[in-house]
Amino acid sequence: MKRMLFIPSLALLAACGQGGKANIEVSDAWARPTRGDAPGAVYVTIENKGGQDDRLVSVMTDHAAMAMVHQTEMSNGVARMRMAGEINVPAGNSIKMVPGGTHIMLEGLRTPLHTGDSFPLVLKFRESGEEKVSVRVAEAGEQ
Amino acid sequence: MNLKQLRLGLWVLVGLVAAGLVVFLWQESKTEQPAFSQTSLGTIGGPFNLTASSGKPFSSAELNGKPAAVFFGFTHCPDVCPTTLARLTKLRRDLGKGNDALSIVFISVDPERDTPAEVDTYMKLYDTPVIGLTGTPAQIEQVKKQFGIFSRKVEQPGGGYSVDHTATVILLDRNGQFSSTIAMEEGNDVALAKLRRITA
Ligand SMILES: [Cu+2]
Repeated sequence: MKRMLFIPSLALLAACGQGGKANIEVSDAWARPTRGDAPGAVYVTIENKGGQDDRLVSVMTDHAAMAMVHQTEMSNGVARMRMAGEINVPAGNSIKMVPGGTHIMLEGLRTPLHTGDSFPLVLKFRESGEEKVSVRVAEAGEQ
Repeated sequence: MNLKQLRLGLWVLVGLVAAGLVVFLWQESKTEQPAFSQTSLGTIGGPFNLTASSGKPFSSAELNGKPAAVFFGFTHCPDVCPTTLARLTKLRRDLGKGNDALSIVFISVDPERDTPAEVDTYMKLYDTPVIGLTGTPAQIEQVKKQFGIFSRKVEQPGGGYSVDHTATVILLDRNGQFSSTIAMEEGNDVALAKLRRITA
Protein backbone atom coordinates (compact mmCIF):
# COMPACT_ATOMS: atom_id res chain seq x y z
CA MET A 1 0.00 0.00 0.00
CA LYS A 2 1.54 3.26 -1.05
CA ARG A 3 1.89 5.98 1.55
CA MET A 4 1.34 8.98 -0.58
CA LEU A 5 1.32 9.51 -4.25
CA PHE A 6 3.07 12.45 -5.74
CA ILE A 7 1.64 12.74 -9.18
CA PRO A 8 3.58 15.06 -11.44
CA SER A 9 0.85 16.84 -13.22
CA LEU A 10 0.45 18.07 -16.72
CA ALA A 11 -1.07 21.11 -15.07
CA LEU A 12 2.46 22.41 -14.79
CA LEU A 13 2.24 23.49 -18.42
CA ALA A 14 -0.95 25.39 -17.82
CA ALA A 15 0.55 26.87 -14.67
CA CYS A 16 3.37 28.54 -16.57
CA GLY A 17 0.88 30.80 -18.23
CA GLN A 18 -0.67 31.77 -14.91
CA GLY A 19 1.98 34.16 -13.74
CA GLY A 20 3.47 32.06 -10.94
CA LYS A 21 0.74 32.08 -8.32
CA ALA A 22 -0.26 29.01 -6.33
CA ASN A 23 -3.62 27.65 -7.37
CA ILE A 24 -4.89 24.99 -5.01
CA GLU A 25 -7.75 22.63 -5.67
CA VAL A 26 -8.92 20.18 -3.01
CA SER A 27 -11.03 17.24 -4.07
CA ASP A 28 -12.13 13.68 -3.30
CA ALA A 29 -12.33 14.17 0.48
CA TRP A 30 -13.55 11.07 2.27
CA ALA A 31 -13.52 9.40 5.68
CA ARG A 32 -14.47 6.06 7.12
CA PRO A 33 -17.36 5.79 9.59
CA THR A 34 -16.58 6.02 13.32
CA ARG A 35 -18.46 5.17 16.50
CA GLY A 36 -18.51 6.37 20.07
CA ASP A 37 -15.80 8.91 20.89
CA ALA A 38 -13.25 7.40 18.53
CA PRO A 39 -11.34 9.78 16.24
CA GLY A 40 -11.77 9.79 12.48
CA ALA A 41 -9.35 10.08 9.56
CA VAL A 42 -10.00 12.15 6.44
CA TYR A 43 -8.19 11.60 3.15
CA VAL A 44 -8.08 14.35 0.50
CA THR A 45 -6.44 15.05 -2.82
CA ILE A 46 -4.66 18.40 -3.10
CA GLU A 47 -3.67 19.72 -6.47
CA ASN A 48 -1.51 22.75 -7.03
CA LYS A 49 -2.33 23.95 -10.54
CA GLY A 50 -0.39 27.16 -10.08
CA GLY A 51 3.19 28.14 -10.74
CA GLN A 52 4.19 28.69 -7.11
CA ASP A 53 4.79 26.18 -4.30
CA ASP A 54 2.28 26.14 -1.49
CA ARG A 55 1.95 24.55 1.95
CA LEU A 56 -0.97 23.10 3.85
CA VAL A 57 -0.63 24.77 7.25
CA SER A 58 -3.78 23.79 9.11
CA VAL A 59 -7.19 22.19 8.90
CA MET A 60 -10.42 23.32 10.54
CA THR A 61 -13.88 21.88 10.89
CA ASP A 62 -16.91 22.60 13.03
CA HIS A 63 -17.51 18.90 13.19
CA ALA A 64 -14.60 18.12 15.54
CA ALA A 65 -12.78 19.72 18.46
CA MET A 66 -9.47 19.30 16.68
CA ALA A 67 -8.25 18.56 13.17
CA MET A 68 -4.59 17.89 12.51
CA VAL A 69 -2.45 16.46 9.79
CA HIS A 70 -1.03 13.11 10.79
CA GLN A 71 1.40 10.70 9.29
CA THR A 72 1.35 6.94 9.83
CA GLU A 73 4.88 5.59 9.73
CA MET A 74 5.77 1.93 9.45
CA SER A 75 9.00 0.57 10.84
CA ASN A 76 9.71 -3.08 11.59
CA GLY A 77 6.04 -3.83 11.00
CA VAL A 78 5.04 -1.39 13.74
CA ALA A 79 2.61 1.39 12.81
CA ARG A 80 3.15 4.76 14.49
CA MET A 81 0.94 7.81 14.07
CA ARG A 82 2.55 11.23 14.46
CA MET A 83 1.84 14.89 13.73
CA ALA A 84 2.97 15.63 10.20
CA GLY A 85 3.66 19.36 10.36
CA GLU A 86 3.08 21.44 7.22
CA ILE A 87 2.56 19.60 3.97
CA ASN A 88 4.44 20.92 0.98
CA VAL A 89 2.48 21.08 -2.28
CA PRO A 90 4.96 22.04 -5.01
CA ALA A 91 3.76 23.95 -8.07
CA GLY A 92 2.25 21.65 -10.66
CA ASN A 93 2.05 18.69 -8.28
CA SER A 94 -0.74 16.91 -6.53
CA ILE A 95 -0.83 14.97 -3.31
CA LYS A 96 -3.30 12.18 -2.80
CA MET A 97 -3.69 11.08 0.80
CA VAL A 98 -4.32 7.36 1.01
CA PRO A 99 -5.01 5.11 4.03
CA GLY A 100 -1.91 4.06 5.92
CA GLY A 101 -0.04 7.32 5.26
CA THR A 102 -0.82 11.01 5.59
CA HIS A 103 -4.31 11.75 6.84
CA ILE A 104 -6.28 14.48 8.56
CA MET A 105 -7.11 13.24 12.02
CA LEU A 106 -10.34 14.44 13.63
CA GLU A 107 -10.35 14.32 17.43
CA GLY A 108 -13.41 15.02 19.52
CA LEU A 109 -16.00 14.50 16.80
CA ARG A 110 -19.27 16.28 17.54
CA THR A 111 -21.16 13.19 16.39
CA PRO A 112 -19.77 9.92 15.04
CA LEU A 113 -19.33 9.76 11.27
CA HIS A 114 -22.02 7.70 9.56
CA THR A 115 -21.76 6.22 6.10
CA GLY A 116 -23.55 8.45 3.62
CA ASP A 117 -23.12 11.63 5.68
CA SER A 118 -21.01 14.55 4.60
CA PHE A 119 -19.55 17.52 6.45
CA PRO A 120 -17.48 20.59 5.55
CA LEU A 121 -13.74 20.85 6.13
CA VAL A 122 -11.54 23.89 5.61
CA LEU A 123 -7.90 23.50 4.60
CA LYS A 124 -5.68 26.52 5.10
CA PHE A 125 -2.76 27.07 2.74
CA ARG A 126 0.11 29.50 3.21
CA GLU A 127 -0.27 31.13 -0.21
CA SER A 128 -3.77 30.29 -1.40
CA GLY A 129 -5.59 30.80 1.88
CA GLU A 130 -8.64 28.77 2.79
CA GLU A 131 -10.10 26.02 0.65
CA LYS A 132 -13.40 24.48 1.62
CA VAL A 133 -14.25 20.89 0.79
CA SER A 134 -17.11 18.52 1.59
CA VAL A 135 -16.05 15.24 3.21
CA ARG A 136 -17.98 12.15 2.18
CA VAL A 137 -18.31 9.40 4.81
CA ALA A 138 -17.74 6.14 2.95
CA GLU A 139 -18.41 2.50 3.84
CA ALA A 140 -16.18 0.97 6.52
CA GLY A 141 -14.83 -1.42 3.90
CA GLU A 142 -13.77 1.30 1.46
CA GLN A 143 -10.15 0.95 0.38
CA MET B 1 9.68 -7.39 21.73
CA ASN B 2 8.99 -8.28 18.14
CA LEU B 3 10.83 -10.75 15.97
CA LYS B 4 12.87 -8.18 14.10
CA GLN B 5 14.14 -6.62 17.34
CA LEU B 6 14.90 -10.08 18.66
CA ARG B 7 16.78 -10.91 15.50
CA LEU B 8 18.69 -7.61 15.66
CA GLY B 9 19.61 -8.30 19.27
CA LEU B 10 20.81 -11.74 18.28
CA TRP B 11 22.97 -10.34 15.52
CA VAL B 12 24.55 -7.87 17.92
CA LEU B 13 25.31 -10.83 20.17
CA VAL B 14 26.76 -12.72 17.25
CA GLY B 15 28.96 -9.74 16.45
CA LEU B 16 30.27 -9.51 20.00
CA VAL B 17 31.11 -13.17 20.09
CA ALA B 18 32.86 -12.91 16.75
CA ALA B 19 34.99 -10.03 17.97
CA GLY B 20 35.95 -11.61 21.26
CA LEU B 21 36.27 -15.33 20.71
CA VAL B 22 38.08 -17.79 18.50
CA VAL B 23 36.84 -18.57 14.98
CA PHE B 24 35.47 -21.90 16.09
CA LEU B 25 33.05 -20.38 18.61
CA TRP B 26 32.08 -17.66 16.16
CA GLN B 27 31.04 -20.21 13.55
CA GLU B 28 29.02 -22.14 16.08
CA SER B 29 26.99 -19.10 17.16
CA LYS B 30 26.42 -18.19 13.54
CA THR B 31 24.94 -21.56 12.64
CA GLU B 32 22.75 -21.35 15.73
CA GLN B 33 21.07 -18.10 14.68
CA PRO B 34 18.88 -19.27 11.79
CA ALA B 35 17.91 -22.38 13.75
CA PHE B 36 16.61 -20.16 16.54
CA SER B 37 14.46 -17.94 14.35
CA GLN B 38 12.93 -21.00 12.79
CA THR B 39 11.91 -22.34 16.16
CA SER B 40 10.44 -19.01 17.17
CA LEU B 41 8.46 -18.73 13.93
CA GLY B 42 7.15 -22.22 14.53
CA THR B 43 5.86 -21.24 17.94
CA ILE B 44 3.97 -18.10 16.86
CA GLY B 45 0.41 -18.39 18.09
CA GLY B 46 -0.68 -21.23 20.30
CA PRO B 47 -3.75 -21.59 22.50
CA PHE B 48 -5.18 -18.49 24.18
CA ASN B 49 -8.18 -17.36 26.17
CA LEU B 50 -9.79 -13.97 25.63
CA THR B 51 -13.24 -12.36 25.71
CA ALA B 52 -15.52 -12.24 22.68
CA SER B 53 -17.34 -9.05 21.70
CA SER B 54 -20.48 -10.70 23.11
CA GLY B 55 -18.80 -10.60 26.53
CA LYS B 56 -18.49 -14.39 26.65
CA PRO B 57 -15.14 -16.12 27.17
CA PHE B 58 -13.42 -17.02 23.91
CA SER B 59 -11.02 -19.90 23.53
CA SER B 60 -8.68 -20.11 20.53
CA ALA B 61 -10.04 -23.64 20.04
CA GLU B 62 -13.12 -21.96 18.55
CA LEU B 63 -10.96 -20.87 15.62
CA ASN B 64 -9.83 -24.38 14.79
CA GLY B 65 -11.15 -26.06 11.70
CA LYS B 66 -10.94 -22.79 9.78
CA PRO B 67 -7.93 -20.76 8.63
CA ALA B 68 -7.67 -17.34 10.24
CA ALA B 69 -6.18 -13.91 9.54
CA VAL B 70 -5.31 -12.39 12.92
CA PHE B 71 -4.81 -8.65 13.30
CA PHE B 72 -3.93 -6.72 16.46
CA GLY B 73 -5.19 -3.15 16.83
CA PHE B 74 -7.44 -0.86 18.85
CA THR B 75 -10.88 0.57 18.20
CA HIS B 76 -9.76 4.21 18.61
CA CYS B 77 -7.35 3.71 15.72
CA PRO B 78 -8.58 5.85 12.80
CA ASP B 79 -6.16 4.93 10.02
CA VAL B 80 -4.18 1.70 10.10
CA CYS B 81 -6.73 -0.54 11.84
CA PRO B 82 -9.80 0.22 9.71
CA THR B 83 -7.57 0.17 6.64
CA THR B 84 -6.27 -3.29 7.47
CA LEU B 85 -9.71 -4.64 8.34
CA ALA B 86 -11.15 -3.15 5.15
CA ARG B 87 -8.30 -4.77 3.24
CA LEU B 88 -8.84 -8.17 4.84
CA THR B 89 -12.57 -8.13 4.15
CA LYS B 90 -11.84 -7.22 0.53
CA LEU B 91 -9.20 -9.95 0.21
CA ARG B 92 -11.66 -12.48 1.61
CA ARG B 93 -14.20 -11.32 -0.99
CA ASP B 94 -11.58 -11.56 -3.75
CA LEU B 95 -10.73 -15.06 -2.57
CA GLY B 96 -14.23 -15.99 -3.66
CA LYS B 97 -14.68 -18.86 -1.22
CA GLY B 98 -17.27 -17.23 1.00
CA ASN B 99 -17.03 -15.83 4.53
CA ASP B 100 -16.78 -19.34 6.01
CA ALA B 101 -13.49 -20.03 4.27
CA LEU B 102 -11.50 -17.63 6.44
CA SER B 103 -11.98 -16.10 9.89
CA ILE B 104 -10.91 -12.49 10.25
CA VAL B 105 -9.87 -11.96 13.86
CA PHE B 106 -9.25 -8.59 15.52
CA ILE B 107 -7.49 -8.65 18.91
CA SER B 108 -7.36 -5.41 20.91
CA VAL B 109 -4.03 -4.12 22.19
CA ASP B 110 -5.95 -1.49 24.18
CA PRO B 111 -7.85 -3.53 26.79
CA GLU B 112 -8.24 -0.40 28.94
CA ARG B 113 -10.65 1.27 26.52
CA ASP B 114 -11.74 -1.70 24.44
CA THR B 115 -14.50 -3.33 26.43
CA PRO B 116 -16.36 -6.16 24.68
CA ALA B 117 -19.21 -3.71 23.92
CA GLU B 118 -16.75 -1.24 22.40
CA VAL B 119 -15.23 -3.97 20.23
CA ASP B 120 -18.72 -5.12 19.24
CA THR B 121 -19.78 -1.74 17.82
CA TYR B 122 -16.45 -1.53 15.99
CA MET B 123 -16.92 -4.92 14.32
CA LYS B 124 -20.46 -4.01 13.34
CA LEU B 125 -19.15 -1.19 11.16
CA TYR B 126 -18.23 -3.93 8.68
CA ASP B 127 -20.90 -5.57 6.60
CA THR B 128 -19.13 -8.92 6.88
CA PRO B 129 -18.34 -11.10 9.93
CA VAL B 130 -15.20 -10.16 11.87
CA ILE B 131 -14.36 -11.81 15.19
CA GLY B 132 -13.47 -9.09 17.70
CA LEU B 133 -11.61 -10.06 20.86
CA THR B 134 -10.43 -8.27 23.96
CA GLY B 135 -9.44 -9.36 27.46
CA THR B 136 -7.79 -8.38 30.71
CA PRO B 137 -4.48 -6.52 30.35
CA ALA B 138 -2.72 -9.70 31.53
CA GLN B 139 -4.48 -11.85 28.92
CA ILE B 140 -3.67 -9.37 26.16
CA GLU B 141 0.00 -9.22 27.23
CA GLN B 142 0.14 -13.00 27.07
CA VAL B 143 -1.40 -13.22 23.59
CA LYS B 144 0.85 -10.42 22.32
CA LYS B 145 3.84 -12.38 23.54
CA GLN B 146 2.64 -15.56 21.84
CA PHE B 147 2.19 -13.76 18.52
CA GLY B 148 5.31 -11.57 18.76
CA ILE B 149 3.26 -8.37 18.79
CA PHE B 150 4.65 -5.03 19.97
CA SER B 151 2.41 -2.26 21.29
CA ARG B 152 2.94 0.90 23.27
CA LYS B 153 0.66 3.70 24.43
CA VAL B 154 1.56 7.17 23.17
CA GLU B 155 0.07 10.31 24.71
CA GLN B 156 -1.60 12.59 22.15
CA PRO B 157 -1.42 16.37 22.17
CA GLY B 158 -4.74 17.60 23.51
CA GLY B 159 -5.28 14.57 25.74
CA GLY B 160 -6.07 10.97 25.06
CA TYR B 161 -3.65 8.45 23.67
CA SER B 162 -2.88 6.46 20.59
CA VAL B 163 -1.22 3.06 20.47
CA ASP B 164 1.81 2.20 18.36
CA HIS B 165 1.45 -1.43 17.40
CA THR B 166 2.56 -4.18 15.07
CA ALA B 167 0.29 -3.95 12.04
CA THR B 168 1.38 -7.20 10.42
CA VAL B 169 -1.42 -9.71 9.87
CA ILE B 170 -0.70 -13.24 11.07
CA LEU B 171 -2.12 -16.13 9.07
CA LEU B 172 -3.00 -19.37 10.81
CA ASP B 173 -3.94 -22.58 9.05
CA ARG B 174 -7.07 -24.54 9.97
CA ASN B 175 -5.23 -26.26 12.81
CA GLY B 176 -4.26 -22.94 14.35
CA GLN B 177 -0.66 -23.36 13.21
CA PHE B 178 1.32 -20.32 12.03
CA SER B 179 1.50 -20.20 8.24
CA SER B 180 2.75 -16.77 7.14
CA THR B 181 2.24 -13.04 7.56
CA ILE B 182 0.80 -10.20 5.50
CA ALA B 183 2.71 -6.96 5.93
CA MET B 184 1.12 -3.53 5.53
CA GLU B 185 3.37 -2.74 2.54
CA GLU B 186 2.80 -6.07 0.81
CA GLY B 187 0.89 -6.11 -2.47
CA ASN B 188 -2.60 -7.57 -2.63
CA ASP B 189 -1.57 -10.24 -5.15
CA VAL B 190 1.03 -11.65 -2.75
CA ALA B 191 -1.44 -11.43 0.13
CA LEU B 192 -4.07 -13.23 -1.91
CA ALA B 193 -1.63 -16.01 -2.80
CA LYS B 194 -0.91 -16.52 0.89
CA LEU B 195 -4.62 -16.66 1.68
CA ARG B 196 -5.16 -19.18 -1.13
CA ARG B 197 -2.52 -21.40 0.41
CA ILE B 198 -4.15 -21.56 3.84
CA THR B 199 -7.67 -21.89 2.43
CA ALA B 200 -6.75 -24.56 -0.13
CU1 LIG C 1 -4.04 10.00 13.03
